[in-house]
Amino acid sequence: MDISALDAILKNVEKPGRYTGGEWNIIVKEKAKLNIALGFPDVYEIGMSHLGSRILYHTLNLREDIRCERAYAPWTDMEEALREAGLPLFSLETKTPLAEFDIVGFSLLYEMCYTNILSMLELAGIPLLCADRNDLHPLIFAGGPCACNSEPLAEIVDAVMIGDGEELFLDVADVCLKAREQGLNRMETLKALANVPGVYVPGFYEATYNQGSFVEVKKLEKSAPDQPVRRIVKDLDSAPYIGKPIVPNIQIVHDRVALELFRGCTRGCRFCQAGYIYRPVRERKLETLLAMAKELIASTGYDELSLFSLSSSDYSCIHELIAELLEKTKAQHISLSLPSLRIDSFLQEELERMQSVRKAGLTFAPEAGTQRLRDVINKGVTEEDLLRSVTGAFEAGWTSVKLYFMIGLPTETDEDILGIAQLCKKVSRAFYSLPKEKRGKGLRLSVSASSFVPKPFTPFQWVAQDSVQELRRKQMLLSQALKGARGVEFKYHESGLSRLEAVFSRGDRRLGAVLIEAYRRGCRFDSWSEYFKPAAWEEAFEACGLTMDEYIYRERSVDEPLPWDHIDMLVDKNYLVAERENALKEIVTPDCRLGCNGCFGEKHADDCQLF
Amino acid sequence: MRMIANYSKSGALRFTSHLDMQRLMQRALRRAGMPVAYSMGFNPHPQLSFASALALGYTSDAEWVDIKLNEHVEPETFVARMNAALPDGATILSASVAEGRSPALTALIERASYRVDMDFERPVDQQKIIKQIEDMLAGEIIVNKKTKGGWKDVDIRPQVLLMRLIGLEGQKATFEIEGVLDAYGSLQMELLLQAFTQRLGETAAWRVHRTSVHFRQLGV
Ligand code: SF4
Repeated sequence: MDISALDAILKNVEKPGRYTGGEWNIIVKEKAKLNIALGFPDVYEIGMSHLGSRILYHTLNLREDIRCERAYAPWTDMEEALREAGLPLFSLETKTPLAEFDIVGFSLLYEMCYTNILSMLELAGIPLLCADRNDLHPLIFAGGPCACNSEPLAEIVDAVMIGDGEELFLDVADVCLKAREQGLNRMETLKALANVPGVYVPGFYEATYNQGSFVEVKKLEKSAPDQPVRRIVKDLDSAPYIGKPIVPNIQIVHDRVALELFRGCTRGCRFCQAGYIYRPVRERKLETLLAMAKELIASTGYDELSLFSLSSSDYSCIHELIAELLEKTKAQHISLSLPSLRIDSFLQEELERMQSVRKAGLTFAPEAGTQRLRDVINKGVTEEDLLRSVTGAFEAGWTSVKLYFMIGLPTETDEDILGIAQLCKKVSRAFYSLPKEKRGKGLRLSVSASSFVPKPFTPFQWVAQDSVQELRRKQMLLSQALKGARGVEFKYHESGLSRLEAVFSRGDRRLGAVLIEAYRRGCRFDSWSEYFKPAAWEEAFEACGLTMDEYIYRERSVDEPLPWDHIDMLVDKNYLVAERENALKEIVTPDCRLGCNGCFGEKHADDCQLF
Repeated sequence: MRMIANYSKSGALRFTSHLDMQRLMQRALRRAGMPVAYSMGFNPHPQLSFASALALGYTSDAEWVDIKLNEHVEPETFVARMNAALPDGATILSASVAEGRSPALTALIERASYRVDMDFERPVDQQKIIKQIEDMLAGEIIVNKKTKGGWKDVDIRPQVLLMRLIGLEGQKATFEIEGVLDAYGSLQMELLLQAFTQRLGETAAWRVHRTSVHFRQLGV
């Protein structure tokens, strides 16, 4: 590609460093047998903060016969500039147009980035629909958490990788290499790919509808599996990790070393998709983590290390780990952070010691305001836990605490909403009732309330979402109730956006057309509130003869077929049904580190080695 | 001890902001295993200071940083180890040990020289360019500048110390420009080049390269 033309563009766009590459630890290869571009459908600063795609970049590039490069969604100014100059979307490493790669793989981190996949494909000169692509085009893959229900993208992506990518992507690469040796065409290659465990080729299945409701997914291609199964890395401890991560030249969102302690979570919060789709828990050994931390810090020069997992403080050797890390990093001025703290395993002593290094804000997620509702969602946390933890933090000198809640949870009443305010006030009081000399100056208690979005493969996959009006009313109610609480800042999220997220997370194949309609109407970067265009989305649905309401406001019955039922995410559907029952009966299901709850059913019992 | 280093900025890094360059340098120092001194207090931070910022998109051979180290490091060792730890586009050109008491670089910096490569949309006559430079330097150069109090017309002539044409080939011209670079008001190169091309009645694209900076006393 014409570098000087690119140069002229870069002078005039916001944050040109997003597009230049050239970072420390970047891997630039001249040529390889198989060329893979990892496309991230959001800006560089967000994409580079995503651990999963960075692990893949490293893992794939470890192979000599594979060249893996990166591309991020160009910000709107860059998109315009590229179009104007007639330049295609290119990779950061060698500025190769995306269309020249053998595989382009997109990470699906959240539903609201789907329109960016379309803009990236179009800018790359790759047809948006699978049906319009031929042997000369790259194979378009998708992976990541939203791959568990990729139905809205069924006509856009050629194949989906479900589950952990480290081993899966290498298998995919091998099949592609072999297919080329054998001279297979695109269709034949896809057939071969469909037989790789973890790969789902949507085109080999057909969805049927009757009078506007989903009926079933039928298999069209005999050789494809009846149910594509999620792939897991059984032994995370020996799995590849990013030994020498890229260090961006511009600031990114998570600008630090991320140390992944374990994958999966045993808590079983019923609203949390990650808690279900990453099971079972697989830990890395303490020695492995210490060696990783050392290498990661030495190779990046970062001064911050974040313990990264779904619930890091659940790590079985968390005390030893923190103690050792603090010891080792003391002289190097490296600060540690725990992004996800569980209230009940709050590590008071460690916190005090961490504080000696640097004082970052603390985050807690009680999620609901009353014990009743916390039991419904299986957030096994009590008010006493929270108050004890925050008091400990305040005494240790912390003044900045964030509390996360959700609004619109199943069975929620106004009492639960008011409960949030009461809890926040108690936290505020816990701070101000400490003697002045025992606490910091002013409290900054930020309270954030997001809107609940029902997700596939959770016990709440059947429930209806609250209407936008109802969510707004509850937000107002909470906002009123929080008035006068000392030190409290209340933030809530745009409910229109969570509505759309709810549509797509439980969407079916008919949404592919809506996506393209919305894209044509200028929708991009929908998760960025300044770019979210609710009216354009409404029009897009209308143009396709669909409404958002039918996707979100309808309570599904448990025996109704669901558009994602043909995907096997390992967790047994019967288990989800049982958990839904437990939720309605306000029965708590204990953490399965204490004993197996049988979530994998008989079929996959062997995939979990926790017991 | 204090190490004063001169480094260049080019390639992909010209699109890295001053703040990001500071972070980049800190990380490179860590990777190179340099014994950087930290400030005292609640949030200890590494003690390094930069002579001046460089506009986004500009390249330079004259960036300077002053780093406080806890142990003695030979300047040659410093240069070698840092260059092995810096990404493409940043190179330490030289380093020397500074007197403990010498003032901060920002207090010493006075002016900077630039080479500007300009691409005109059509060939421009040499005499016309030279005349325009002369005319422009002979009076005030009023530009509309964003200040704290909003947009204002200001005269940037006092910040221009030198401007001359040093090469012309068809549509490509090269200039040498020297401008004030200090804590009180530095030359904003973009404003000057815009004013210049406007007066000339030509459209052009340009690349700016900082060739050197001049310090008071320090003698570097
Ligand atoms: S199979 Fe048992 S131990 Fe494993 S994740 Fe499921 S409930 Fe937990």
